[in-house]
Amino acid sequence: MNICSLIVHTKPTQGPVVSERLQTFQGVEVHGGLEEDKLIVTVEDEGESMSPVSDTMNALRDVEGVVNTILIYHYGGEESMEEMNREIN
Amino acid sequence: MKLTRRDFIKSNAVAAAASVAGVTLPVSQSLAADADDGIRWDKAACRYCGTGCSVLMGVKDGKVVASQGDPDAPVNKGLNCIKGYFLPKILYGEDRLTKPLLRKTNGKYDKNGKFEEVSWEEAFQTMADKWVAARKAKGPKGVGMFGSGQWTVWEGYAAQKLLKAGFRSNSLEPNARHCMASAVGAFMRAFGIDEPMGCYDDLEHADVFVLWGANMAEMHPILWSRLTDTRLTKPGCEVHVLSTFEHRCYELADNGMVFEPQTDLAILNYIANYIIQNKAYNKEFIDKHVNFTKTPTDIGYGLRANDPREKAAKNRNKGKLTKISFEEYAKSVEPYTLEYTSKLSKVPKDNLLRLAKAYADPNKKVASYWTMGFNQHTRGVWVNGLCYNVHLLMGKIAEPGNSPFSLTGQPSACGTAREVGTFTHRLPADLVTKKDAHCKFAEKTWKLPAGTIPRANGKTDGADQTDISGKPMGKTLIHAVAMHRALNDGKMNTFWVMCNNNMQAAANMNDESYPGWRNPNNFITVSDPYPTVSAQAADLILPTAMWIEKEGAYGNAERRTQFWREQVAAPGESKSDVWQVMEFSKYVKVEDVWPADLIAKKPEYAGKTLYDVLYANGTVDKFPTKQVTDSRGNKYDNHESAHFGFYVQKGLFEEYRLFNSAKGIPKKGHEMADFDTYHKVRGLRWPVIDGKETLWRFREGYDPHVAKGEGVKFYGKPDGKANIITAPYEPAAEPPDKEYDLWLCTGRVLEHWHSGSMTRRVPELYRAVPDAVVYMHPKDAKKRRLRNGALAKLTTRRGEIVCKVDTKGRNKCPEGLIFVPWFDAGRLVNKLTLDQTDPLSKETDYKKCGVKVTRA
Amino acid sequence: MSETERKNEINRRQFLGNMLKTACGVGLVGMGLGAYSKRASSLPADYIRPPGALPEEDFLGACIRCGLCVRDCPYDILFLGEVGDEVATGTPYFIARTGPCEMCEEIPCVVACPTNALDHDLKDIEDSRMGLAVLIDQESCIAFHGLRCEVCFNICPIRGRAISLDMQHNPRSGKHALFIPVVHSDACTGCGLCERACILEEAAIKVFPMHLAKGELGKHYRLGWKEKEKAGKALVTPDTEHRYNLPEGVRYDLQGEGLIIDGEAEETPFSSNPLDTLNSGFMDK
Repeated sequence: MNICSLIVHTKPTQGPVVSERLQTFQGVEVHGGLEEDKLIVTVEDEGESMSPVSDTMNALRDVEGVVNTILIYHYGGEESMEEMNREIN
Repeated sequence: MKLTRRDFIKSNAVAAAASVAGVTLPVSQSLAADADDGIRWDKAACRYCGTGCSVLMGVKDGKVVASQGDPDAPVNKGLNCIKGYFLPKILYGEDRLTKPLLRKTNGKYDKNGKFEEVSWEEAFQTMADKWVAARKAKGPKGVGMFGSGQWTVWEGYAAQKLLKAGFRSNSLEPNARHCMASAVGAFMRAFGIDEPMGCYDDLEHADVFVLWGANMAEMHPILWSRLTDTRLTKPGCEVHVLSTFEHRCYELADNGMVFEPQTDLAILNYIANYIIQNKAYNKEFIDKHVNFTKTPTDIGYGLRANDPREKAAKNRNKGKLTKISFEEYAKSVEPYTLEYTSKLSKVPKDNLLRLAKAYADPNKKVASYWTMGFNQHTRGVWVNGLCYNVHLLMGKIAEPGNSPFSLTGQPSACGTAREVGTFTHRLPADLVTKKDAHCKFAEKTWKLPAGTIPRANGKTDGADQTDISGKPMGKTLIHAVAMHRALNDGKMNTFWVMCNNNMQAAANMNDESYPGWRNPNNFITVSDPYPTVSAQAADLILPTAMWIEKEGAYGNAERRTQFWREQVAAPGESKSDVWQVMEFSKYVKVEDVWPADLIAKKPEYAGKTLYDVLYANGTVDKFPTKQVTDSRGNKYDNHESAHFGFYVQKGLFEEYRLFNSAKGIPKKGHEMADFDTYHKVRGLRWPVIDGKETLWRFREGYDPHVAKGEGVKFYGKPDGKANIITAPYEPAAEPPDKEYDLWLCTGRVLEHWHSGSMTRRVPELYRAVPDAVVYMHPKDAKKRRLRNGALAKLTTRRGEIVCKVDTKGRNKCPEGLIFVPWFDAGRLVNKLTLDQTDPLSKETDYKKCGVKVTRA
Repeated sequence: MSETERKNEINRRQFLGNMLKTACGVGLVGMGLGAYSKRASSLPADYIRPPGALPEEDFLGACIRCGLCVRDCPYDILFLGEVGDEVATGTPYFIARTGPCEMCEEIPCVVACPTNALDHDLKDIEDSRMGLAVLIDQESCIAFHGLRCEVCFNICPIRGRAISLDMQHNPRSGKHALFIPVVHSDACTGCGLCERACILEEAAIKVFPMHLAKGELGKHYRLGWKEKEKAGKALVTPDTEHRYNLPEGVRYDLQGEGLIIDGEAEETPFSSNPLDTLNSGFMDK
């Protein structure tokens, strides 16, 4: 699976509304930065069951109110989903 | 909080983005910090060495999932060595034994059969048949048990009762015989009471540290860390290190000395001579507190009686002290001049002089530390004593910073082996089987008929004790090395090894240990959590609960007794040593091992099992089973109490306290607090009187046994005086010769503990130090066409092994000596060593024999 | 590197390759990605060349991808770059964490090299500079917390010179010492034995190619005390003797500890307890 984190810059004061728009995408979560208009976003896929991360990220650019997206972190592993959802503590 | 790998990666991803963006996230969104939730923390004493660090173990869902050094422990303040860091992993080796295993062919026990799983009932019944038969046929030495300084206090105590009272046999020895016996011998001879007078606080109070055959940097890592700190922070502090090769301690040494093996005897006599010649001794102290004595010389090497070296010895095994005058003592050390000693020891004169001056300076506090370099020595008792001589001459003893200190290698060498007295000649609290009165006291305390415990000489009130065989008991003492010889000779037929790996640990495996264990007449039982070399050589293997899989107590080298609760259950059918000892006693009836006239003295014992007599005796089973809890309300299991129906550990400990803390005991000075107190504290240093621990013994103000105005009193001796015992330099048993032209010295490394049965199962430690190597001088290697990393064959008169050469590593040997650690089951260095002992302490000398090295 | 980790590595590369195709469109000139594509031209940080390897550019020119060094390595630690790897295809490397250089005295890999890409002038393995060990994570390294580990120090084949222990007071416990491993670039060969031996789940000490590992002092600046040591004397005229106005019992050591107040003298030569005086002999004093 792939897990990415991005910073999504929004137009001034549009952080909250863009956040809502982004969350309609499968595998996308917004974690914060609404006030700052810099959304902290994760995008995940689970291989076949969800659309690939690259497609999702591509699509985010076209969301209304998005100025720019910056990829910060990428994790790509071939673990099974079972492995990824195993408790580690 | 549950945390999956996915959550974890995601939280990292979020944190990375947030930090780049300069955005602060609400707490719930940041890294999952509460991953520790649901972990129950409790204290325990570290499983390994005699330092006695305290650790906190984190348990969740019945498994140890986390550990940490105990930040509130005075010894280690939250620190651990590398072995301690991996403590939880020693419980979870993949090859834990979980079922009793017996050698069988066609469903029946067969010495040459293959190991098969059996029930505990079958295991114990088979064992009991063998034990009872051997006891009847071969007398008190026909059976034997070899325990450990890694036993918990009550395990040693339960075994003590089983052997000495139950089987009426003094064939009980701990592996501490290989480790501490010389120290004990010297304590008893010099002070009349065992164990160091000082404590670890000496490490902060001394100005000068002298290491005599102790590689503290690796063997007592946390104590070394304290010593180092004092050296770094205290102006004028200096460190002197003596050994037969350069080890890690030399990195800190202000005065590092490598001496020719065995010449430590001469060096100590030189120091005494220097002190006397320069009139530096403390006359007032000597006059008041010291007697001068001498010990017989030319005493042999503890080899078999038919060895030419034994036949040549004039005073074989003799050790009776004779009083001499100060002048006679002074004369006895006179030959040890600087000139002579330097030549003999190969230590430069300047270094020796500097060392002597440090001891002789009245304004410097000196702490001497030693471990196996002194103890595993064919003159171990002597050399321990020679060190006391120097301290006593100067009066530098029993006060902060002035301290001769014998360090221990095992976590409870003091607490169990020595204090409980699981040696052939001892009973709890410094009592001995040599003394009829001590045995009688033990019999009374244990509610046994008078004359049950075999006396060393087999006589009570001047008359022979009768044996189950109907014959007189005869002499009953048999020490560890003699046990292997007796097995080899077929005189001892059953042997139970518990909590140690004696096949790997004992010297001269090829000629004595292995043929002894595999002697077709013998039945060998090994209790161990792992398939060790000993287990491989056994006939019956009992799977054993280890360390925190049972409630336990250890006593460290500074007299500190530490308790822990059962933290997790043992895997499969594993059972603790105390369970094994007590359960086994149910399979033996009093009539099997006691003669009728003894039973007649206590007719109510007729028909009873040893369990009824020894453990269900109204004292041990006094405390009912109850839920074990801590002050925070956490609950703990106790499998032994659940099985036997009473609080086993408490009952055993409180009965043990009748020997050291009750009114009217024969020997004072070992007082301990009650059972419940120890569960609440980070250990207490005995004697514990009125709830207060004792830091320095024999000194007024510090030790409540010394009355006001007495100043110093060595109250272990009837006249309150310590013995200075003169002894000369005598050569080693097997120095190098033309063929076996190098000294072989064995020992340990930081990363592995003892035989490696635990630490070699921790992958990280195994990766750090996988195999034993032979450390040697590059010139010695070159002469033999060997280079660093090459394979060498090591040969002695007894066997050979192959290992890699290391000329650059942590230990730098002088020319003429090699060092090989013994942790490696793949390279059994005890195939090479000689089963020589100190004739007085019977402790093996693993440090000196002749060896030949060739290309493999 | 385990098989799965390798696969992950490839997976990630493929993923990022795909990303690149669309990156411009999305405006993804992210920091992570930028760093990634730049690095592809040089060696990955954990890929270490065998002993005697020429500087990377020269090495790539000289290495004929014959694989003889790999064949002759007695410990089988060397890999050859494969298509899709971030290392030039067919060139040798090792990964310290899983298979460090065992420092053979004969250096068979160098002997085997037909082109001098592995420098044949390297005769003593201790002179090799495959990389440099860096104690990169002082927060995780347990030595910095006062635990007695020192596995890297103990395993180091250039004993005491490539890694030494700096002993310091442990201010937290107040009575223990810290044994801090310090790597010395003048002796460290970059063999990676320390990285493999590191007992942490992720090694705190790692070997990196020299250019990543080593800082460099401004060319103009010299460390005064080292220059003095080299010269064996002061580079300029030694200072003249200083003299000071000082009260009695006080000295000043210019090059040493500064102001020294000599041992606080006791007010009288007598103990406060008269018995001490009475009981002490006077004849032999």
